[in-house]
Amino acid sequence: MAVPSPDHPCWQKLASGALSRMKTKHLGTQLLIKNIERSTDPVPVKAKEIHAFFAKWERGLSAEVQQLPYL
Amino acid sequence: MNRMISTDAAAELIRSGAALSVAGVEAALDRLPAGNWIGGTSPYFMVASGGTVVDDSKVFVTELSGIGQVSVASYGADELAGICGDAPENGFAVTIIPFGGACHQRFALDAASFPNAFLRPTVGWIAGVHLSEIGKTAPLVYDGRTAAKFRDRAVVAHVALPEDRLVSVEIVNLFEPDDGDILRFTEASFEIGTCEVNGKTVNFADYVAARGLEHGQQPLVGDFAGAHLNVSLQSLDNTAHRAALYAPVFPGVDYRFAKSVGDYAAVFRTRLTEQDTQGAVMACNCILNFVFGELEGKAIGGIEGPITFGEIAYQLLNQTAVIVRIL
Repeated sequence: MAVPSPDHPCWQKLASGALSRMKTKHLGTQLLIKNIERSTDPVPVKAKEIHAFFAKWERGLSAEVQQLPYL
Repeated sequence: MNRMISTDAAAELIRSGAALSVAGVEAALDRLPAGNWIGGTSPYFMVASGGTVVDDSKVFVTELSGIGQVSVASYGADELAGICGDAPENGFAVTIIPFGGACHQRFALDAASFPNAFLRPTVGWIAGVHLSEIGKTAPLVYDGRTAAKFRDRAVVAHVALPEDRLVSVEIVNLFEPDDGDILRFTEASFEIGTCEVNGKTVNFADYVAARGLEHGQQPLVGDFAGAHLNVSLQSLDNTAHRAALYAPVFPGVDYRFAKSVGDYAAVFRTRLTEQDTQGAVMACNCILNFVFGELEGKAIGGIEGPITFGEIAYQLLNQTAVIVRIL
């Protein structure tokens, strides 16, 4: 499964709190999740950051990428 | 190459143009010529035969040239965002920072919020000194371009990977949180007065003393979306009722104290056996594990590397081993 496009509605949802439901043992993903939770950035900024992360690490995060549209 | 070699051999490697990350005592690093390298002080190392302490005849060398294109940089406390910001798009930043200065503090507090922090990972360690020299000798880092040494700068080797490679930053943490109290903190800090324990405000130093944890062998374990990140106790001031930590705690994170680890070396051996080391290029481990685990002379397996005053995997860690793999 490919990373959803940047205009997919999942990114706004993930940035609004759904990302915290992701199941992962990948250190970088775990730290990103906590950083997004703690961040006071606006949702669109968070959404862009989350998309950039999964676009970059897609190759090593297939289990996590599969969860993205369903969280 | 990721191993201990003679200081003279390291100097030859530098003269040959190799890009290196080097760890050793000040007198050894002082003898290295200018070149494409970064360095930091530590006399402690974990090698195949176990933990060891070295003099100036040897240094620990991680050759970065074979991993990717390397460029060296150095940053002051107000410039640390450049560690990730200046890193190559597909690459990572090997970073060494001296213990106890403004760079150490600022990096610990801010690293997770640097732009590109999770796209261009930072890995590395905090430079230290022999434990008998704490307070007498300063930890130092070296910018190999001029072979200059600094008390309070971050030295960085930016490594650009080939398109078909990715860096993987992994940790081995012996500690598991206990099943007891949940501690929360209202501000990011190395110095703690009060905290919340199960929602009730208490004095942290008094709480630690009441639990008999002043010895510092069991760190606080923060829950970062399932990742367990340690914060180690540095000291308790029972007069001022304040505690000093080796890394900051953060608001919005649940902390518990760690369960006691029985046989450190045995647990490390088991955990490192479970760790995938294929493609491993560098590692470091914590001085507190070395001391509390009495690891000198005890082989634990895994990847060789310096024993450090703090470990870096995206952000500052304590009492943890960091392993970097290229996949």
